[in-house]
Amino acid sequence: MDKKLAVYICTGCGIGDALDIDQLSGVATDDFKVPICKTHENLCSKEGAELIKGDIANEGANGIVIAACSPRVMYDVFSFDNVLMERVNLREQVVWVQPAGEEDTQMMAEDYMRMGLTKMKAMAPSVPFQPEQEMSRDILVVGGGVTGLTASLEAAKAGYNVVLVEKQDQLGGFQKNVAMRVSYPYKDLQKNDLDQLIEAVRKEEKIKVYTGAKVESLEGGPCVFKATIKENGSSADHNIGAVVQAAGWQPYDPGKLDPKLGYGASPNVVTNVQFEEIAKSGKITKPSDGGFVKSVAFLQCAGQRDRKHLPYCSSVCCFTALKQAIEVKRQDPKANAYVVYKEMRTPGQGEDFYRKAQEAGVIFIRSQDPEVALRGEELTVQAYDELLGDTVVLGSLDMVVLATGMVPTTALGEDLKAKLEQEQKKEGEPEVELLRPDYMYASDVLNLKYRQGPELPALTYGFPDSHFICFPYESRRTGIYPAGPVRRPMGVASSSEDAAGAVMKAIQCIELTSKGQAVHPRVGDETYPEFFMQRCTQCKRCTEECPFGAINEDEKGNPLPQTTRCRRCGVCMGACPERIISFKNYSVGMVGDMIKSINVPDEYDEKPRILLLACENDAYPALDMIGLRRMNYNAWVRVLSVRCLGSLNLIWIADTLSKGIDGVMLLGCKHGDNYQCHFIKGSELADIRLSKVKETLDRLVLESDRVRFDTVSITDYDKLPALLDAFAARLEEVGPNPYKGF
Amino acid sequence: MSNRVDPNLVSDLEAFGLKDAHKCYNCGNCTAICPLATPENPFPRKMVRYIQLGQKEKILRSPEPWLCYYCGDCSTHCPRGADPGETMMVTRRYLTSLYDWTGFSRKFYTSERFEIMAISVVALLVGMALLIFNTGNPNWEEAAINSLWPAEKIEIADLVMASVLSFLLLSNVFRCFRFIMGDLSFKIPLRLYASEFKELILHTITQKRFSKCSDGMQWFVHLMIMTGYASIFLLVVVFIRWFQRDLPEYPLSHPIRLLGYYATFAIMYGTTYAIIGRIKKKKPVYKNSHSTDWMFLILLQLTTLTGIFIHFARLLNWPATTYFLYVVHLMIAVPMLVLEVPFAKWAHLAYRPVVIYLLRVREKFEQEKPPPAVDTAGVEREGTSQGST
Ligand code: SF4
Ligand code: SF4
Ligand code: SF4
Ligand code: SF4
Repeated sequence: MDKKLAVYICTGCGIGDALDIDQLSGVATDDFKVPICKTHENLCSKEGAELIKGDIANEGANGIVIAACSPRVMYDVFSFDNVLMERVNLREQVVWVQPAGEEDTQMMAEDYMRMGLTKMKAMAPSVPFQPEQEMSRDILVVGGGVTGLTASLEAAKAGYNVVLVEKQDQLGGFQKNVAMRVSYPYKDLQKNDLDQLIEAVRKEEKIKVYTGAKVESLEGGPCVFKATIKENGSSADHNIGAVVQAAGWQPYDPGKLDPKLGYGASPNVVTNVQFEEIAKSGKITKPSDGGFVKSVAFLQCAGQRDRKHLPYCSSVCCFTALKQAIEVKRQDPKANAYVVYKEMRTPGQGEDFYRKAQEAGVIFIRSQDPEVALRGEELTVQAYDELLGDTVVLGSLDMVVLATGMVPTTALGEDLKAKLEQEQKKEGEPEVELLRPDYMYASDVLNLKYRQGPELPALTYGFPDSHFICFPYESRRTGIYPAGPVRRPMGVASSSEDAAGAVMKAIQCIELTSKGQAVHPRVGDETYPEFFMQRCTQCKRCTEECPFGAINEDEKGNPLPQTTRCRRCGVCMGACPERIISFKNYSVGMVGDMIKSINVPDEYDEKPRILLLACENDAYPALDMIGLRRMNYNAWVRVLSVRCLGSLNLIWIADTLSKGIDGVMLLGCKHGDNYQCHFIKGSELADIRLSKVKETLDRLVLESDRVRFDTVSITDYDKLPALLDAFAARLEEVGPNPYKGF
Repeated sequence: MSNRVDPNLVSDLEAFGLKDAHKCYNCGNCTAICPLATPENPFPRKMVRYIQLGQKEKILRSPEPWLCYYCGDCSTHCPRGADPGETMMVTRRYLTSLYDWTGFSRKFYTSERFEIMAISVVALLVGMALLIFNTGNPNWEEAAINSLWPAEKIEIADLVMASVLSFLLLSNVFRCFRFIMGDLSFKIPLRLYASEFKELILHTITQKRFSKCSDGMQWFVHLMIMTGYASIFLLVVVFIRWFQRDLPEYPLSHPIRLLGYYATFAIMYGTTYAIIGRIKKKKPVYKNSHSTDWMFLILLQLTTLTGIFIHFARLLNWPATTYFLYVVHLMIAVPMLVLEVPFAKWAHLAYRPVVIYLLRVREKFEQEKPPPAVDTAGVEREGTSQGST
């Protein structure tokens, strides 16, 4: 494509007052020989947009550079078909953060203009990715409990075909064993309406149900998944668009509990799950002799919120205990029901249900470590009640019910992380810090044919989730969305909601992928990583480091990118030592050229330069935020937005420093267990890569203080100016970069 | 084992008027707001918790219910509508029944039927006694009560009644003393009991503690009823010879007459205020009325009313009306005294000052000699947890 560049400088929003626009235009017209360069006092107005459209139509302009506000705003106005576009952020990151009319402000604007034009020159038009196979729009739902059933129905209602796979012989999941239900609006016990839900799924033509079945293997990626489903010895293949993983949970093994809780000491000490089975039969009776119960103690947190067992709250067991206690009271209002709890937790609007139990006469005891004891024949619980400040004894109990918690199905099976770490150890001390393997268990749910392991990577406790606050339902495997208690402990009401949410995600994924576009967080991005395979050394860095497991590997170690799984983070691009992975509008060379286009005044001008590589997800918006608040920051800074710090290629550091720029700051998201990095591991990888930067610096005989890594979240914007000043001050101490002027 | 949870306590207390204590989630707002609770004796949350956990023993040994004057501040501020003030009231009823060794009090509180029956029976007995025991020689010319029932004879009956009442009440007070003081009962030197005695008198007369509550009106009403009742009690039991007087009436400035008027006014004012309050149910104190509360107010007001009528009938010199009203008056007053004083609401007149007094004594005793560590642990924990709420 022959590129005809056109630059549009907006003079509104204070830009025209703060800058010498003629001189700025000169950068485009003289330095870069751009044929069209126009200014407008209100570029985002209808007339402004028309101006650009006119040039596209009449002048054949196809490389549009808009020097105006942040690319994070007005993207709907500045949206033109079939052209390349780049935005130069003169407003939020120049005139709103620098004093008007100053020489340094002008220099900053001109540098950004150069960087934008350099990028535009290097950009190539992207062609949306289209796989060779036909793309499927069907949704696979794994797990036939309340979540899976609801998800299937929701998907069918939205017009998608569904393949529903349930491991057990019947649909229904855990709720099959439940007599009465606690759910929204939490005023009273409810009938379990599971049968209606199953009936509805059975009747729905769009849903193909497999029971007593499992997913034997799942390969491919969004819209090109191939699922092999095994049912009664025979297997069937399905082409799948996206997957909802609703594999549910298992109760914690009561055998592992502290003997103090008395499990096994008497047949009348049961778990909440066992109690449910008893209640399902219609009468609540003593397991030992079948007699009606007159006195029952419910012990909460049997293992939950205990480092030795399940460190997290299971969220439903308090409800369950309240429900079961009410059931005891219903059967016989004279019966005694005690609930011994650490903290009573009835999230959401559940408080009313607690009142309901109070109303029914349930006695609540707050105690951190109750003890079950058999005194001769008598079953008792002894507990220090914190609200009384004394120990009390519950005597003559017919039954003690232990509230065991939820273990996600994904936390069952062999610990693959431990296995990997074992192998790493065997290979000996690594020279450099290694990326920690993901939490993953061989739970036999999805059996992915992925290079990075067969199941969804998880968080610490085995719950799969990529980012629990910002993006529920996302997982680190594109197109696979966990929902229900497998994602986090939750009850029926939340599970149903979750199912709908996950289906929504699956549908988005199918729709975007079929257009060759990326899903969250770079929704709509049509570029994708392209590998120049001739120069690949089979080092496997990309296949190992891709946070989304999007690259498979052949036996020789050649990367096999599965583009529909790709989130376009660029981590592989940063990883590749051969620099052979690039996007049409983002590549190692392109960013390098942008860095090199920055004008570095020589030492005697006393105008140091700092390159700020800012992650586009939080750091860049935080910088915009400083502008929105009209705060100020250091005038030596030049911001370069990157897709993710994980796309950082070390050559950029060398490019920067050898150019004479005094320092580089990397600004990314928080990483670690409570990460906020939008690409999960990007910022962690950047940090690890930086540990190797010393080598580069040594080669250039430069101080390591010239490179600095920091993490921020968008809300930290107000701390950034001070952070930048501190870095500038440090650089001042270190002295100017000796490469200036080379 | 005393720390067993007795799940039936709550239902047992329902007969004493317990309604909302189960709603309490132990936030401690009530204790924080209560003007009378102290770190040493925090309430009412603690009592609510005792009830929820069926800690009968602990309740029995608690002085706190008697420290509460039921201003109702706690109930107003309870976020759960658990009505802790009423719960304190219920505990007082319950304690009255526990202190009472005859078991009569319990019946009285837990059965309305029994209450009405008992009052009726005593009333009938009094009526019959007055019909049987009299001079048989009434003065039909002039209204002269002494002509039928001479004051000296009534005085004898009075004294008999007073001794029976005192015996019952004092024996119950003694039990109260044993429960509250526990092991300490006889370890504290008598000197302390003696030196603090003035507190007992002071509190009884001024209701000083009550005035700390934010609703001054409640204190005033309580003071009126209390002093009115005490004055009239003095007149009919101690000064009956001078009080039960035939014409000519004392001059208006005569102390006996003045005291009589004060008592009448004070009681009428107090009871009318309380009755209206209980009907309107605006203040938390008056929201829940146990049958004994009504009985108490009605009997007291009727006694006073009939007393007023007698007074006027006498002044108008209507002999027959006067004698008839006299019988009615006693048929109301006597059951009230005989039943209410040792067994029901009136008993608090004795328990409250006694308990406050005992606490003072104990406090003094503990100041003099450091207390054993175990004893304070619970108190301190409770104290600090209250402090933080
Ligand atoms: S690292 Fe990022 S850009 Fe590269 S293949 Fe994986 S998801 Fe795509
Ligand atoms: S990182 Fe680069 S060289 Fe290494 S396997 Fe991937 S594409 Fe090949
Ligand atoms: S304020 Fe109400 S809920 Fe809170 S502790 Fe007192 S009685 Fe209980
Ligand atoms: S009624 Fe008044 S004195 Fe009694 S506990 Fe409540 S706030 Fe305290």
